[in-house]
This record gives sequence, C-alpha cells and structure tokens, in this order.
Amino acid sequence: MPKHYRPAGKKKEGNAAKYITRSQALKQLQVNTKLFRKLCIYKGVFPREPKKKFKGNHQTYYHLKDVSFIRHDPILEDLRAKSAYRKKIIKAKAKRNKELADILKNRQPEIKLDRLVQERYPHFIDALRDLDDPLTLVHLFAALPASDRLKIEVKRVHNCRKLSHEWQAYISRTHKLRKVFISVKGVYYQAEVEGQKITWLTPHGMQQVLPDDDVVYDVLLSFLEFYETLLAFVNFKLYHSINVKYPPILDPQLEASAAELYALARYFDANSRPSEKVEATQEEESELRLAQLQHQLPSNEPGALMQLVKDAADENEEDEDTKECKNLFKNMRFFLSREVPRESMLFVIPAFGGTVSWEGEGAPFSETDQSITHQIVDRPTQGHVYLSREYVQPQWVYDCVNTRIILPTDAYMVGRVPPPHLSPFVDNEEEGYVPDYAETIKRLKSAAKNEILPMPGMGKEDLDDPTKFVG
Amino acid sequence: MRERKKSSAVEVSSVKKKKEKKTKDNNEPREQKEKEESQSIMKQQKNTTSRSKKEKQRKATEDYQSLRESELSGDEVHGTDHDVDNADDHHEEDQTDGSEGHRGVEESDSSEDEVAPRNTIGDVPLEWYKDEKHIGYDISGKKITKKERQDKLASFLANVDDSKSWRKIYDEYNDEEVELTKEEIRLVQRLLKGKAPHTDFDQYADYVDWFKYDDALHPLSNAPEPKRRFIPSKWESKKVVQYVRAIRKGLIKFDEPKEEEPKFYLLWGDDSSAAEKANHLAYIPAPKPKLPGHEESYNPSLEYIPTQEELNSYQLMYEEDRPKFIPRRFTSLRSVPAYENAVKDSFERCMDLYLCPRVRKKRVNIDPETLKPKLPSRKDLKPYPVACYLEYKGHKGAVVSISTEASGQWFASGSTDGTVRIWEVESGRCLRVLEIGEAIQYVAWNPLPELPVLAVSAGQDVLILNTGLGNEEEQRRVKDLLHVETPTAPDDNMASIVSWLQHDKLDGIRLRHFKVAFSPLSIFSCIFVLVLDLGLVEDHLLKNLLLALMFTLDGVFGRMASQGRLPLHVFHPTRSIFFVSTKKNIRVYDLLKQRLIKKLETGLKEVSSIAIHPAGDNLIVGSREGKLCWFDMDLSSKPYRVLKCHPKDITNVAFHRSYPLFASCSDDCTAYVFHGMVYSDLNQNPLIVPLEILRGHTSSNGRGVMDCKFHPRQPWLFTAGADSVIRLYCH
Repeated sequence: MPKHYRPAGKKKEGNAAKYITRSQALKQLQVNTKLFRKLCIYKGVFPREPKKKFKGNHQTYYHLKDVSFIRHDPILEDLRAKSAYRKKIIKAKAKRNKELADILKNRQPEIKLDRLVQERYPHFIDALRDLDDPLTLVHLFAALPASDRLKIEVKRVHNCRKLSHEWQAYISRTHKLRKVFISVKGVYYQAEVEGQKITWLTPHGMQQVLPDDDVVYDVLLSFLEFYETLLAFVNFKLYHSINVKYPPILDPQLEASAAELYALARYFDANSRPSEKVEATQEEESELRLAQLQHQLPSNEPGALMQLVKDAADENEEDEDTKECKNLFKNMRFFLSREVPRESMLFVIPAFGGTVSWEGEGAPFSETDQSITHQIVDRPTQGHVYLSREYVQPQWVYDCVNTRIILPTDAYMVGRVPPPHLSPFVDNEEEGYVPDYAETIKRLKSAAKNEILPMPGMGKEDLDDPTKFVG
Repeated sequence: MRERKKSSAVEVSSVKKKKEKKTKDNNEPREQKEKEESQSIMKQQKNTTSRSKKEKQRKATEDYQSLRESELSGDEVHGTDHDVDNADDHHEEDQTDGSEGHRGVEESDSSEDEVAPRNTIGDVPLEWYKDEKHIGYDISGKKITKKERQDKLASFLANVDDSKSWRKIYDEYNDEEVELTKEEIRLVQRLLKGKAPHTDFDQYADYVDWFKYDDALHPLSNAPEPKRRFIPSKWESKKVVQYVRAIRKGLIKFDEPKEEEPKFYLLWGDDSSAAEKANHLAYIPAPKPKLPGHEESYNPSLEYIPTQEELNSYQLMYEEDRPKFIPRRFTSLRSVPAYENAVKDSFERCMDLYLCPRVRKKRVNIDPETLKPKLPSRKDLKPYPVACYLEYKGHKGAVVSISTEASGQWFASGSTDGTVRIWEVESGRCLRVLEIGEAIQYVAWNPLPELPVLAVSAGQDVLILNTGLGNEEEQRRVKDLLHVETPTAPDDNMASIVSWLQHDKLDGIRLRHFKVAFSPLSIFSCIFVLVLDLGLVEDHLLKNLLLALMFTLDGVFGRMASQGRLPLHVFHPTRSIFFVSTKKNIRVYDLLKQRLIKKLETGLKEVSSIAIHPAGDNLIVGSREGKLCWFDMDLSSKPYRVLKCHPKDITNVAFHRSYPLFASCSDDCTAYVFHGMVYSDLNQNPLIVPLEILRGHTSSNGRGVMDCKFHPRQPWLFTAGADSVIRLYCH
C-alpha cells in the first residue's frame, strides 16, 4: 500500500485540507471570476502560500477558512441579488418598457460596505494603519477625468474630490502634516495621525492619462468603492474627534470656484466656536471634580493636587511635533500666483500655521495687501514687485516644511534654478550618501537652533554606550 | 400587391394548361366545358397558390360577394360622396386582381364536384422530381411517367407548323401542353389591360346607401350633449371612496420618497466595545509601498541624473534588468508634466493587494539593540570610582607597582627610578622614600595589618622591609621578626636557592636568589610575604609546603623563564589552591595534594595579568591584545565572558576586596571599572556591567597605566602611570 493512501471517507489532512485552489474556490462559492474578485477585494481576502503546493506551482491557493468566510458573508447574497436585479432592468429595457425600467432603476438596492469596514478594521487605529493605499487611490481618482466608456462616473470623481478635500482639511486644520515631497510621480505627503505615519501620493494637477490596455478598471473601481466607504468613515471619526459635524456643508460659491479646501477651513472656523464652549464647560467640570477630590485628599499634600491639575493640563497639550509644525509659518502671509499649484499650497501652508490667499474669486485678501510677507511665484520673471514681500518659488515652501526652519530665500528667488529638492523620507546615514544640499540644510538647522555641531571624534560616544564591549 | 400579381400570373399559366386538357376531350358541349373549365382553374389555383394567398383570396371573394349582393339588391340610390369613394376603391381593386377574385366567386360553391388534377404530389417544389422518371402520382397512386422530351429542333418545327402554337402553354406540373380557349385568352387580355376579367362585372356600379333615414336628415345626430356627461359619476366617486378607505387602512401603499438616512456614522465609537477576537485568520497587512528617495524628486541633485552613456548602457541591458525609473530633472515646478503611469502604477498596486499571496515570513531581523543584555543602570550600581580625586607626584620614573596597606591608610609604590615610596592615602603625603637602588618590579604589603612589612622585588632580589609604621609594640614585633631571620640558611634546600641577608641600611632582609636565573621573581616575593605571615605560627609545615611548591613549579617556571617571560601567579584567598599562568593557559594547582587540578583555556594570545575574586571562585585574566576574560571556576574551563575594551595591552587587573568591582588598566592610558557581581546562588551567573572609563594618565615611552589597585575599604582605585604619577579615583 502506498504511503499516501487515504481511505475513502477519511478526511483530508495537512495542506490539502487547509487550502484550496482558486478554481476550487470558485466552484465552492458558485460565483464567476468577476464576482469572486470583487468579493476578495471587499473582504480583503488574499491568496496564501501553503508550505506544500499540492496542486502545482502555477496555482493560486486560498485558505479554506478565507473562502468559507466569504461564503458566509451576506455581501455574497447582496451581490447576487444585485446582478439579478440588473438583469431585470436590462430585460425591461429590451422590451421597451421604459416605465418599468425607470421604476426598477430608482429602487435599485444599494450595497452597504460599512459592516465590512467594521469587520476588517475592528479598531480605528487599524484603519489608520492601512490608510496609505485608500488615500492614494482616492486622490488619484479625484484627478482623473470621468469616462463613460470606462465606467468612471462623474459622481464618483466628485465624491473622491470631496473625500480627499475633507481629509486634507482635517490634516491641515489639526497641523498633522509632517513631510511633503514633490516627485515626478506627484506630491507625497506624510501626516501623523494618532501616532500612525500615513503617507499618500497626489498626482500633479494636470490632465491625467487613462491607459486603455493593461489596466482593468473594474479592479480599480472595486477597490475604490471600498476605499471611499472606508475614508468616509475615517473622516467622520476624525471630524467627530474635533467636534465638527460630518459631512460638512460648504459655501457653494467657494466650492464652485474650486477652493473647497478654503471653504472647509471656513467651515471649521464657523464650527469650532461652539466646541470651544463645550471645552470650557468641560474644564469647569474638571475643576469641580478637582475641588471634590481636594476634600478627600489629606490637606497636607498640596503637591498631589498640583500633580492632578498638571495632568489635566497635559492632556490638552499638543505634542511637541505638532506645536513645532503649527508655528513654522506663524505670522506669515502668503500669496499665490496663478501658475502655482494652488491646491497643494492651500493644504500645506495652513497646515504649518501660515495664512494664504490666491488670485481669483473668494480669496481672503488680494495681491495688493501690504501685509503679505511672501509671494509664491513660478514664472521666469516677475513684472511688478512689491518691496515689502519676498518672491519665492514654490519649492521653498516644501523645503521649509521638511527642514522645519525658515530657509533663506536667496536660492529660491524668481528666475533661478532652485537647489535640489531632497526627499525627506531618506535616512541619509543609512543610505550611506549625503547629498551636498542635505549638509547645507543640516548646518542651517543647527545654526537656527544656536547649537554647535559636535566635533567628530571627541570620543564622547563610547561613554554613552559602554555595553558595546560586552560579548 | 406584387405578390398578388405574381399569383395571378401563375394562374394564367395554369388556366392555359387546363385549356389544353380540355381540347383533348372535345366531345363535351361548349358551355359545359366552359363551366368545367372555370372550376378546374379554381382547382389549379388551390394547388398552386400558397395558403396565405388563399386566405387573401377568400377575403377578396367575400368583398366581392357583398358587392355583388349590393348589385343584386338593385337599389340605385346614390349615397354620399364618401360612399362613392368607397365604391371606387372597390373598383380599383377589381381592376388589379379581379380575375382570381371572380373565379373564386364563381368557383366557391362548385369546388366539391371538381375533377382533381392529374398529378397528386401537392404543393411541393417541382425540382424534387427533376431527376426522376416520373412527375408524380395520379389519384390511384400510380406513377405518372414523364413524357419524352422533344428535341429543340423538332419542337421548333412543330411550333412553326402549328398555327395555334402561340396559345399553347406547357404545364410543368402535369407535364402536358395546354391550349387556351378564346374565352380564356380574352380573359387574360382583360387582365393585362387591368380590367375586371369578366365582362358582366360593372366596375362603375351606382352607390348603395345603407343608412336607414327613418326621419333623419343626416346620418349624424345633432342632438345636444346629454346632461349625464356633465354630472360627476357616482360610480367613480364610489371608487374614490373605496381607494381612500383602502389608503387609510394601509391596504394601498405608495412609493414613499426614500428616507435619507445618514450614510456615515461613528463606526468606531467606542473601541473597547469592538469585537475582540474574530474567528477568522489573522490579517496580514500588505507591505507599504516604498517611500520615494532623492532620485524621484522633480529636481534631484545632479549626481542622480544618469549621463548619456549610462542611458545608452540601459538600452543594452535586458528589459528586466533595466531600471524602472530613470530620474529626470525639471528646473521649475511649472514644467513638471502629469505622470503618465499614474493609473498603471495604482492598478499594479491594487493587483498586488488582492492577487499576491501574503506570507508572514519569520525573518531573523534582529535589531542589534535588542541583543544587548538588560543591564541595570549605572546609577544603581554606585558607588564606584568616577573621577580623579588625588594625584601623588614624586617619583621620577614610571611607577611600576603599587600596593595598599591592609588598613587602607597607607600605600606603597615602586618606580623604575629605584625608590619605593610610602604614601598616606587621604592626604597625599609621601611618608617615606626608600632608596633601593635598582629598578623596582613589584611591591607588596603584608596582608596582615598587625605587621606592617613591605616586600619589594628589585633586580634579582627580594627585600622585606620595615616600613616604620604602627605603634611601638608593633614596631618591636616587626623588628623582632626581621631580626629572627639569621643570615644562616635554615635548611639545606632553601639555602641552595636563596640566601637570607640582613639589609642594614633599610632595616630589612634581603633575599638573594642563587639558583634561579631569572630575575623578576615577584612570585617569590609574595611567597615569602606569606611565609613571614604564617611563619610565626607553623614553621615546619610551611617550609615543607614551600619546598613542595617550588619543586612542583620548578619545571613550569624554568620553561617560562627560557621564553623570557614573567610568570603570573595568584593564590586562592581561602583554600590552598594556586593559579599560575603560562603563555595562553592558566594552571590550577592544589598545594596540599601537590598536583594539577585544572587547566583554564583562555583563548588569548598572551596573558598579561591575573586577579582572583575575593570569594575565590572567579578569576579575571587580562591579555596583551586588550581582552579581559572572566572565568567562573564552577562553570567551565572556558571563559564565561570575554570583554574587548582596551585597544592596547592590559597591564593589570584587580578585584576589590569587598565591593563587587573590578578594574583593568592598559597601555592606552585608561582604566576601566566594571561591576562584577558574584552571587552566592550557584544558578545565577555573575553579572558584569561596564561602569566607567577613567582617563587622565598620559603616555610615556608607549606605556600608559602600569598598575591599578583598589583601596581595601573604599570603592577607590589607585592607578600608577608610566608618566610617574599615581592617581586616586573616588566615587
């Protein structure tokens, strides 16, 4: 008898019992590949790698539990119902029963993904951890042209725009942006929300190319559908945390003039006042409680009470980094010229505490305002020059943000080729190569902090870490 | 219309065929013939035309019948214009397809007694019988064979001869020639002209008004609108009431406008309430995309831009090897175009997210920081020497050796300038200077505090000197001791090795070695200090012991001496065990049993110093290559820890007598202080923590710190430098 013989009726064991191939999964679930793909995307199910590929190397293997996890999900039934319903509409249309088709269209069942979001991300922090891809895709679709042929609806593009602006408004408002990098691919932003570093890419504000071959838009759209829901819930939670109603109601005029970010900022301003009141009452409450506690505490311990008050105060305090970011462009007023990427600037400058205006309708102040300190210009020459302000290229803002100091503007003047724009995501020491400009910036930074760089080879370092001799 | 015409043409042909048939049986009277003929034509029609055609015919015949009837009724009253028009229409129709219509009318009642056509194959394509010898079957089921074909010439000739040939038609169905009669030809001609086929049909018959004008002037009534038309319907109102009631009861439901419930809500309201553990597989988060480096910048440093040569070399590479991203440089932000692969990149990322198998790889990715043992912080291990507190200056040469007195009040130092100095520790005062005359190699105090005697090894000799410390009684005892040793040798064996001489000048004893050739015998100085200590009590035993020892070690030392090296040795503090180092190993001897117990393998190149823990189970060994080995005697013969701290030779190592401290000093002008805790629990390994690096000495002649000793009571460290300075480091 061969070793691997398994008597009939006996259960499978090992990898064969744990994993099934893709086609087996399709058969089990009784779905087609398209629907299976969609389910996988919604549920976040991915193939796994069994130790032993019992059906060969060319197969994709799913864990049996993953598949049964899909099978028991109501979303499968919903999707089936939806496709059946779609058939009804098609049938009505084919029979030229327009009335019925219209009724059916209006009653179309909506698929809700909130439960899936909750299931995949049981804690808010999990959702934040996985937010890189959603943000990148939503920002990309916000910049894509709508296309009937590719089923990219105008509605979705608008929704993406809305979501991305809401996110940016929150980040900007709470000064959580940390790093910005302009690459050839677009602008990378990095924010830190609840201790999670979230990096996303926004394309440059140009007409985007929609490649026809080698891109299956169905996949992108399925992902987008889930990501839109996820991001909306995340936004809701974030807005809730700063006591602002979600979804925000915007000034239609500003919205029309493509200044949603500014509109959102105004919305925040309008909404933050009541929240302050709430905070005030909370403080009063806490003081009351403190007074009560004071009675309980032994009277000869004033220090304990002081500690309590201090703790309460500390909770409201923002962390060091946020403070630093908040005050980088404090008391600086920026004006953007037409050719400057406005959306990015409207996001970045307020995130670091600056005030910004632009050329166009609804702008908070005009170019002639004398209090403007910096004008951001991206053209070969500047015609009329106000002496009271400095004219800089946009890169200056980004470099300032990355270095966290106000850099000298000489190198970034109009018409000059600006110094190299370095990635803030690179650890130069680890990379083993430090570009010249990084050194320059380092020096400027230390000069700004009034520090003297330690001379190399002072030998102080071995004292800090005497344990390195051990072993 | 066209269809009809076609069918009529077919009929014509069939009519002609019939004619021929008729000519064959001529005996019948003409009228009868005619009637028959028409019937048979009708029959033909039935066979040849399709069923749909028949249908139409029937309709047409009905029309005509009604028309006929109207004719028959004979009312010649003209109706309205409308009616006339109607009639006209009829007539026109007649003209187009009148012929068959008429036949139909005539034939309708006589179809039963009609003779069937010869062939019975029915309405099938005749092509089916094209290749057969028969054209079909007659009524009795017999085959009707085809007639023989006339050749073309013969038929032509026949046609030419026959004057009636023009009215002959070949009937393919029945395979026979039919000759049309005069009436039939006339009928055809009428049809061709577009007239009704029958002469007796009046196309322009007068209109018959069917309306019964009882007492009306016009066919339409001009009565006023009845009242009921203006009164709301009772039935309707009843129905309305019914509906209202049904709606009120909720039997009828309307499509309500959908309630816009808020789509989004606080999904993660209270994180603590979230489901703790789902019963599905652990989620493996996708790896995050790589963050962009300097080269992806829109304006990278110039060194990131590939040169033309590099670009050319990319072309030569395989497509897989080519770099995916080639850095480009734009001089201003406005000139940056849209990234052409934005959608493609996103798509690829999405594909990776849902198609790539994710595996949690257990990579051994150890952060070197985590590998460090959790050491207690240095603060907790205080006190230990931290800073230089005192400097003892006075020697003119490098200070080679120091030794502290047991009480901790004094210490002695020996230098290469040939002096031994005795210092007071706390004040830094030099109490005495003893001129030996030769370079000092080693100084050692008597470990017993009641006999303040100092042993000094200089040149080939060992001197045991009175330091002149202590109270009078002690001084007396010391003097007694030093005088007791008479210059005569106490034993033959001993005498052969050393000679005991009174050193008058310095008030001590000089031991001169004869036999042993090597000079720096600090071991013996130590041995004799021991002798002095113990000699008062058990003279005999010790002498034997010493003898035994010397003989045992003779070989070892001889070997080492031949290599020109200083042998190192240390006594066990409590047991009669003796440690001697060879070049690479440490030998452990039991003095009582007089044999080797153990051999410790240091793994060092050359041992330079050795010290034993006051408890006796642990040993540290310093080496010429700057390594420090800690041996746990109970553990193994291999070092428990090797510390690589000094870049240069370790000159000496020392244990503190009471504090868990040990130190090493080196030629790199530093001394390291370690915490070396030995636990009484045998299961717990000794804890070694580096504490402090003591600096301050300067190098001279390539030598740094020559010796280090701990203060016997305090956590203080003395270091003797080659720069002729002794330093005291305090906590």
